[in-house]
Amino acid sequence: MASYITRKILSLIPMTLILSFMIYLGMDLMPGDAVDYLIPPDALSTMSQEQLEQMRESLGLNEPLVVRYVKWLGGLFHGNFGYSLQSGVPVSTLMKDYLPATLELTIAALLISSILGILLGVISAIRRGGALDQILSVFGMIGVAIPQFLLGLICIDIFALHMNVLPVGGRMAYQGQGFFQRLQYLIMPALVLGFSMTAGVMRYARSSMLDSMGKDYMKTARAKGIPEWRVNLVHGLRAALTPVVVLIGFRLPMLIGGAVVVEEVFQWPGIGTLFVKAVRSQNTPVVMMIGFFSVLLVLISSILVDILTAALDPRVKLS
Amino acid sequence: MRGNKFMGLLCAATMAASLFTGVGTLGADATESVTAVTGDAQSLGTPLADVRVRQALAYAIDMDTIVDTLFDGKATRATSFTSPGEWLNTDIPVYDYNPDKAKDLLSEANWDPNYTLDVVYYYDDQQTVDLMTIIQQYWSDVGVKSQFRKLEGDLAAQLWVPPTDMVNGPSEVKWDLAYAAVAALTESEFYNRFASTASNNSTVPKQDGLDELIEASNSTMDKDEQIAAFKKIQQVVAENVLAMPLYHQVCFIYTSSDLDMKGNPVGNDQFSYEKNILDWNINRDDHTLYTNGGPQEFFWYPMVNPGYMLNTELLFDKLIDADESLNPTDGMLAESYEVSDDNKTITFHLRDGLKWQDDEPLTGDDVKFTIELMLKTPGTNAVASEAMSCITGAQDYKDGKTDDLAGVTVDGNDVTVNFDKVSANALQVFSQWPILPEHCLKDADPNTLQQNEFWQHPIGSGPFMVDEVVLNNYCTLKRWDGYWKKGTGNIETIYEFASGENDSNLVKNASAGKIDYAWSKSTDDAKAIEALDNMKVEQANIRYTRCFYINQFPHEPNIK
Amino acid sequence: MSALDRKMDRLLARENSGREHRELVKNRTVRKMMMNRLSVVGMVIFLIILFMCLFAPLFTPYDSTKVDLRAILQQPSAAHIFGTDKVGRDVFTRILYGGRISIGIGFGSALIATLIGVTLGVIAGYKGGILDGIVMKISEILMAFPQMILVLILVTITGQSLWNLILIFSLTGWPSMYRMARSQMLSLREEEYVQALKAFGIRDMKIAFKHILPNAIGPIFVNITLSTAMFILNEASLSFLGLGVPMEVATWGNILNVAQDLTILKSAPWIWLPTGAVVTLFIISINFIGDGLRDASDPTQVG
Repeated sequence: MASYITRKILSLIPMTLILSFMIYLGMDLMPGDAVDYLIPPDALSTMSQEQLEQMRESLGLNEPLVVRYVKWLGGLFHGNFGYSLQSGVPVSTLMKDYLPATLELTIAALLISSILGILLGVISAIRRGGALDQILSVFGMIGVAIPQFLLGLICIDIFALHMNVLPVGGRMAYQGQGFFQRLQYLIMPALVLGFSMTAGVMRYARSSMLDSMGKDYMKTARAKGIPEWRVNLVHGLRAALTPVVVLIGFRLPMLIGGAVVVEEVFQWPGIGTLFVKAVRSQNTPVVMMIGFFSVLLVLISSILVDILTAALDPRVKLS
Repeated sequence: MRGNKFMGLLCAATMAASLFTGVGTLGADATESVTAVTGDAQSLGTPLADVRVRQALAYAIDMDTIVDTLFDGKATRATSFTSPGEWLNTDIPVYDYNPDKAKDLLSEANWDPNYTLDVVYYYDDQQTVDLMTIIQQYWSDVGVKSQFRKLEGDLAAQLWVPPTDMVNGPSEVKWDLAYAAVAALTESEFYNRFASTASNNSTVPKQDGLDELIEASNSTMDKDEQIAAFKKIQQVVAENVLAMPLYHQVCFIYTSSDLDMKGNPVGNDQFSYEKNILDWNINRDDHTLYTNGGPQEFFWYPMVNPGYMLNTELLFDKLIDADESLNPTDGMLAESYEVSDDNKTITFHLRDGLKWQDDEPLTGDDVKFTIELMLKTPGTNAVASEAMSCITGAQDYKDGKTDDLAGVTVDGNDVTVNFDKVSANALQVFSQWPILPEHCLKDADPNTLQQNEFWQHPIGSGPFMVDEVVLNNYCTLKRWDGYWKKGTGNIETIYEFASGENDSNLVKNASAGKIDYAWSKSTDDAKAIEALDNMKVEQANIRYTRCFYINQFPHEPNIK
Repeated sequence: MSALDRKMDRLLARENSGREHRELVKNRTVRKMMMNRLSVVGMVIFLIILFMCLFAPLFTPYDSTKVDLRAILQQPSAAHIFGTDKVGRDVFTRILYGGRISIGIGFGSALIATLIGVTLGVIAGYKGGILDGIVMKISEILMAFPQMILVLILVTITGQSLWNLILIFSLTGWPSMYRMARSQMLSLREEEYVQALKAFGIRDMKIAFKHILPNAIGPIFVNITLSTAMFILNEASLSFLGLGVPMEVATWGNILNVAQDLTILKSAPWIWLPTGAVVTLFIISINFIGDGLRDASDPTQVG
């Protein structure tokens, strides 16, 4: 086990190197550069090319790609993730500000979707083919099918503007950062995001529950006269959970990348909004850092899934 | 390679044809152009060099209807870059919607119906796209094909590079027309760019006498003389359709019913003007005024936009105050100031006992430091940097020949600024660009000024100071009791939602009752907020004109 | 490969083990699909929307780009059944013409991704060796990015256009198809009938494409349908972020995007509500078809 993990982690290194260089190259291939976004477009026309060139020079944008990449990489080894080209703030500080917000949102959504998905999936499986099964399938499917931003805007219109029960957006209340005050801000975005992720879990839970319901030990349990709900809950559910856990593991990377749209709709100050802004303003160090983090998260979660699978399913061995 | 010979022949043939029909070629020596041409028939010129074509394009657009429908009547149709008012010359030619006239002019000019205009824009809002769609249709109604595309990347290089030869071209930019806007503090920002010496004139070849008119408008501080000079320029621009002004945007100011501004007028919020906010009353228990414009990543530094964000305006004081139309009025940090008779010297008398919000003294040295910093910062707005470059010794200072700007001398509370040549806009500049603290910024690199840590939590000299900052979420400003003036109002805190130049959440926040004062130029915002019970919408005229720049330098058609 | 991959391969193989009943598959699949009420309803909705979009001129007399400033923001009426938008274009017409492009983006990208993924998967899976190693690494690299992040970076690099979007979706979509096709190949290439074909001296590629690939047709179709749905939604999301198809092109995403303007959201629901409903219905119907296909091609479920 230990040697497996070490080996896996070692294999991450070349992978992340290649990936980080690719993002760097990609940023370089984008038309224009950060200077074009430091000056509002209407004001650009009043500036001379020399002025802009001077700004490029001082931001170090004129050096060759490889030099800039090696510098960035060198900084990384010294724990320096670079500075935002816009504000000069260390990228690590930005991450420290924005990451918790995103994690708060996505973990909440992951919890909502997992609990809801497993619950509905199991019910659906038990009532297989019945009306309830189909209603639940349609319900879950709507979550996947409705564009997130539309659902978000409709929710804002209803709950924040008409009923006035929840705030329109943001993450923290002014002068009130207690748990319950913060919770108000979390409810809508987490539900919208969670709703869109529910159907996937539900489908998996349903099919693996069906799978395990057909298994011999279930029949045996039933034959022993154990009540139906107990059979389903204790024996069926446990077996059904394995693939669901795997699926949730696969979803971990969405913790960073999956909430972009929801964050934008609800003014949630997270990594997603930061990333969109950074990509659009070609703020390379920030894009690098977020790209790097999300890639790392994908790789780590794949290891995690491996370990989980091995732990849950004795037939699988780590090699 | 094989195509070249053929293209050459084609070129010569078209060349001959155009000589006979007299189209294109700008009246330049035609034989000379042929040798300069590298084998493409179209590089001889551009149909847009013909004033009749430009007039036709203007006649073809029904701007009044567009303003009434797309902008819901919340903009003003432009006949000139100058907005209606005392600066506008009302005798200039106006191109009212007249599709028949447009067609006549086009046929007179032998318009090639196969030519497709390449039109560029750089805004990414829905309204711009809608407007472009509408104009495309108007032009197609008179038989002009056009394609619209949004520019990406290095805008300055794609839009504003002037040709080396300002008479004959060829053009350094590829497009035929560019949809753009000028947000101007002074009239000169509209018209300086038409000079053949302007660093951003990518479209207009040198016109007889225009450079001199522009020069004249820049060399007087007298308002009446300035108005007279600009009216002459407006005439030239309109007669020749050097560019096509479309509409003036207005500034919408949104106030809630909880706010009592004590009768202070609203004005051009793109810049700073005296609001007397210390006298305002807010009807909220926590004495907090809600607004937007909070920092997303940093407090916007004032070199480019000195008063665009309410926080810049309230955190930093200027030397001179301005009224709601941005005319310089009395002193602000300066108790008083004098301009010499030859307009070449301005003396500021600073108030006694001025302080920064961290209790450090604010002195004449800060003033001198700020002027020096503005000279050295590449991002400084053109009006300001032009005014600063007129100061005695400015060039030597910029070139690094001296560490001391000779034209600015400090004597106790008196700061004297000497100019080599008259700067028409000096007073406006001193009424808009704030004084910055030397003790905080003396080590800052002017090239990357916006990256300085200072802008995470700036220290100013204005009536409010930064209190709490949660980047990209909100910030709060609190009333500073060390300010040189006390007000009668009750606002203790200003809460700002984080937002950029265009706040997409303004309407949502206003609907939720969380905006007491804000402004925007968006007609959509205005329309939505007008419908709210608790909000009031007022308008102010601003110098913000959307237009087409028309590339009159010879260039190859970009769409074949 | 990692334990995870093997696990997934096995899951996939199980999902797709319709191979024993090869000659029956078609009839059986259709029959089983017809039994599934939801997927039949899905199929009907899907076909109606698709048909109306493809033959839009039959259903609407208007031009989707024709601006009419005298008729802006009109409520639904007999002349304009879904009203008009902010510049007076007929919303119904725009939904139909927009559907062409949105469905085109979704289906086109899914198809290209499938073509690339399956071809590579079949060749690499059957041949193995260095080629397999290289393609596998590339797919791993692409899959290491969260999809949205990768798409956003690529859109900014290539610029916003219809074809770029299709290219990007295809580029980010093929690895999962590749993995599926490859795992099929791996599990099937040792089968006895394959050995027999080899013994007859039939060329490798012919065996791979003609004799093994057809067994994987079920999951491939499932994947195409689900990818189509995903790409259509992605297009809408990108429009919202301002990074989609240029705004002057009518797509479902671009039409919906006007709902960002709260005035439109509240007072002109005819612009976005029908569009939203059509998009949602279309995605749901595709998903149900996909589900139906999946169930139908799964022999462990009784048909």
